[in-house]
Amino acid sequence: MIKLLIRHKRFLITAVFLLTVFLTYAINLRNKEHANPLERGVMSVTAPIAGGGAAVTGMLGDLWSDYVDLLEVRRENVALRKSVQRLNERVVAGNEAMMANARLKALLDLKGTLNAASLAVSVIGEDSSAWFKTLVVDRGSADGLLEGMPVLAAGGVVGRLVKVAPHSSRVLLLTDHASAIAAVVQRSRARGVVRGAGGGRCSMEFTVKDDDVKVGDAVVSSGIGGVFPKGLPIGEVTMVKKGEYGVFQTIEVRPTVNIANLEEMLVLFRQADE
Amino acid sequence: MMRYLKVTGWLLAAVLLQMTLLPRYLLDPFQPNLILILVVYLGLKLPHRFAGFAAFCLGVLQDSFSGIYLGLHAFSYLCIYTLLSELADRLYTDNRALFVLVVFLATLMGALLNLVMLLIFSVSNGVYASLLPALIPQALVNALIASLVFSFPLPAVEEAR
Repeated sequence: MIKLLIRHKRFLITAVFLLTVFLTYAINLRNKEHANPLERGVMSVTAPIAGGGAAVTGMLGDLWSDYVDLLEVRRENVALRKSVQRLNERVVAGNEAMMANARLKALLDLKGTLNAASLAVSVIGEDSSAWFKTLVVDRGSADGLLEGMPVLAAGGVVGRLVKVAPHSSRVLLLTDHASAIAAVVQRSRARGVVRGAGGGRCSMEFTVKDDDVKVGDAVVSSGIGGVFPKGLPIGEVTMVKKGEYGVFQTIEVRPTVNIANLEEMLVLFRQADE
Repeated sequence: MMRYLKVTGWLLAAVLLQMTLLPRYLLDPFQPNLILILVVYLGLKLPHRFAGFAAFCLGVLQDSFSGIYLGLHAFSYLCIYTLLSELADRLYTDNRALFVLVVFLATLMGALLNLVMLLIFSVSNGVYASLLPALIPQALVNALIASLVFSFPLPAVEEAR
């Protein structure tokens, strides 16, 4: 018997083991919804490990997703910056268009008040010297311009054309020392010549002392000389000085037009045609 | 040949700057006169037979885009060039401080020449009222720019002598 057991020891052990496992399974079938002590022990031991593993896995997952998000955010940031730049350019262009519209509308209103034919010109250059006050405009003899034609802006007289090339011209501003315009004080009709005095100023010369001129009086073109039509605004009297000696009074005139900010102007044809 | 091309390049760049960017972005008395600085450079460093003609041409160019008197700057620049080319052999022209000083004085001299020409031959009464207040600031700005310009190695200065 013993020999038989020894001979089939391996088989018997396997059978007993299988039987034990089977019995364990069979016994636990009844109580399958409740954890037995072994299960509870295993669960208790493995729970913290599982929790730690889950935390590490979650952290790594978060890191990866954060990295992916960061890449996405960077791409999105670049795209948004470009978008903001485009929108800013549009805003600036829009503002520029609105301002140009306002200026051109004022110029169009001026054109409507004039009886003579005129041509709109744009400033493309300024004088590089501190002594001379001239501007370069984008139209020339090819557009019918001639030397001596009067140049106006929305506020009034700007100057006259002096050097005309086929596709550009120079405008001698009324503030240049070489500029002289026959003028009259609008209120009292006192006559004189408005000359440029540099630095954005003008003076009215040859107005006799007896003429009534006050600070704030408007000075307009008199039409004498045939260059400028009669009645165009030139400036406003800012200073009147009547010396003890001499025949004439000293009058300082501030131009109506802001010479420093000129961009579009009108050139009148009528006077030169006549 | 190469050095003359480089000098021509400098001249063209100065003229373009003077015509376009400087008047647009700098206020009146503080605009440097690059052309005058180059005329001084030509007078002191390049007393070549064509340099006088170049100084004259630079003046004519400036007159054609500034003011209404063609020949005004051409005359004053030619006078400055002639004077400097005569003096160049007696001066230590490699000295940068001398250049700066000469540019300062040349600005004053050019302005006074222009003033005399305007007063005698034109009807620009009272032009001195614009010229004189701007004179010293412009001379100082020119001197400052000259000190910057001559701190760079200009094309083949030694060979030109």
